Amino acid sequence: MVWLYVLPVSAVFLFVFVGPLIYTAWTALHETSYYQIGKFSGLNSFVRLFSDSDLPSRIWTTLVFSLGALVIALPAGLLSAIVLNNLHRFKRSVRSLFLLPWLMSQATAGTIWLWFLNPNYGPASAITKSLGFGPTDVFSTPTSALVAVTLMTAWWSYPQAMLLFLGALQTIPEELRESLKMDGGGIRHQFVNITLPYLRNTIVSVVVVLLMLYVQMVTIILVTTRGGPIGSTETLSMRVYNQMFDKFDLSGASATAILLFAVNIVLTLVAIRFRRKESL
Amino acid sequence: MSITTPRQRRLGSFIRAVPAWAYIILSAAVVLPPVAWIVSTSLKTGSGTLEFPPRWIPAPFSSEGYVGLLTSTNIRFFVNSLIYAGGSIVLALAICIPAAYVATRYRSRRMETLMTGILVLSMVPAIVVFIALYSMFVKTALINTYPMMIIVYTAIICGQTILFLRNFIENIPVEIEEAAAIDGCSRIQILWRIILPLIRPGIAAVAIFIFVFVWNDFLVGTVLATTEDMKTVQNGIVRYITTGFGSFWGLFAAFIVVAFIPVLSIFLAFQRWFVAGMTSGGVKG
Repeated sequence: MVWLYVLPVSAVFLFVFVGPLIYTAWTALHETSYYQIGKFSGLNSFVRLFSDSDLPSRIWTTLVFSLGALVIALPAGLLSAIVLNNLHRFKRSVRSLFLLPWLMSQATAGTIWLWFLNPNYGPASAITKSLGFGPTDVFSTPTSALVAVTLMTAWWSYPQAMLLFLGALQTIPEELRESLKMDGGGIRHQFVNITLPYLRNTIVSVVVVLLMLYVQMVTIILVTTRGGPIGSTETLSMRVYNQMFDKFDLSGASATAILLFAVNIVLTLVAIRFRRKESL
Repeated sequence: MSITTPRQRRLGSFIRAVPAWAYIILSAAVVLPPVAWIVSTSLKTGSGTLEFPPRWIPAPFSSEGYVGLLTSTNIRFFVNSLIYAGGSIVLALAICIPAAYVATRYRSRRMETLMTGILVLSMVPAIVVFIALYSMFVKTALINTYPMMIIVYTAIICGQTILFLRNFIENIPVEIEEAAAIDGCSRIQILWRIILPLIRPGIAAVAIFIFVFVWNDFLVGTVLATTEDMKTVQNGIVRYITTGFGSFWGLFAAFIVVAFIPVLSIFLAFQRWFVAGMTSGGVKG
């Protein structure tokens, strides 16, 4: 029986994904106190979610965080891949350098920046103080905290974009570059006429991969700001975590989780559509 | 067409390399400072970490941070992470290899639907299912158990594992299996005796990927392990900051360095497989 071979995997997925998703939908439709499910409440928790005056700002934070990190990580990843692909000496060392942030865990990436930016003892503070500015107290004001976690996330994730681009760059036939060189095309010419068109599908799939990563990012925010100060770094994912483990509001967290799930489904559909061309 | 001497050409390629190296130096300036700062902090004395303005070269050098790591709690974090990683590698391979095999060789519409379903599910944000898993586990005895942790880790990486293994199995010529079938091999024998030895490099890459994923994961340990004796290495790192008092920064930095060593050595030893395994799915971070 062929199906016996996929039975264990299916069982694990039913247990860890399908069951909890149904359970989440179920709890979103009920009143909960602490982690106990009470009586049926219809769409109440969704009404509560969408009438919450904080929701627009959380969606805005999610957008700024995701698009901000994307706008940095995508060009950095592409540029790193192109530089690496054209490099003839020290290739291994440079690749290790580029990959270093991503080899670290998210918890490490978050906490080492936390220590580097520490207002009392960190070297960043020493530099800003010697330049006549105050200490680098970035995590205490809303805007600078959001900028900081966004930059840290971009810093950690750009190598992932680089690796995907690197894989695609290696499929560009060498003859194509050679023939362009014969015609006297410069580097810019080569980039616009060969590299970019070749990478079009890859760019789309990298955008999707990164957006999915950013939309579900919890760890880097959790270890640095926990969503604060005053909710300024609380993305939708972080909000799910805080509602669940800070406010013990199971049905509220479930409703937000369903919203997050819907966002993710849209991204997944785009990912699947482009999966056939590139290995996502 | 102009004629260039080798010397001019060397000069030309040197000039062309300037922007690339400018970019590399800029990257180093963005990537390295926090890393150097952590290594420096890990070699300082307790009071040395609280100096301001800070020194980059510790004076005096001290192994205080590293010696201080040897507590039973910290060792437990490392042992736990090893158990979770090892268990996940074994379980994921045991359930994903058969699935990847039949999904590659016995294609049907229903099989494709199942595989797409698994892939889509594995892209669901972890936090979405974790809140349900937590509230289900916390009411039963399932929370804080090794098997549950391993099953959750396995589920998260299964989608990518299957995808990656399928690429390997697709490259094996079907003729080998057909010949074996004619000789009277059953399907399970073909999988065990022919496919398995041929996809060994793929298995190695997947094992590396799973190890690094589990070792570096923070969220599963945070949510589904509620007691200290079940937490992971990454929880151990953050624990210094959330519960630290006094001058804990030296210990914290030393812990980060030690926790990074396994991943770094695997990366340096198996660079090619490492990269192949990590980019196969690319979604989970």
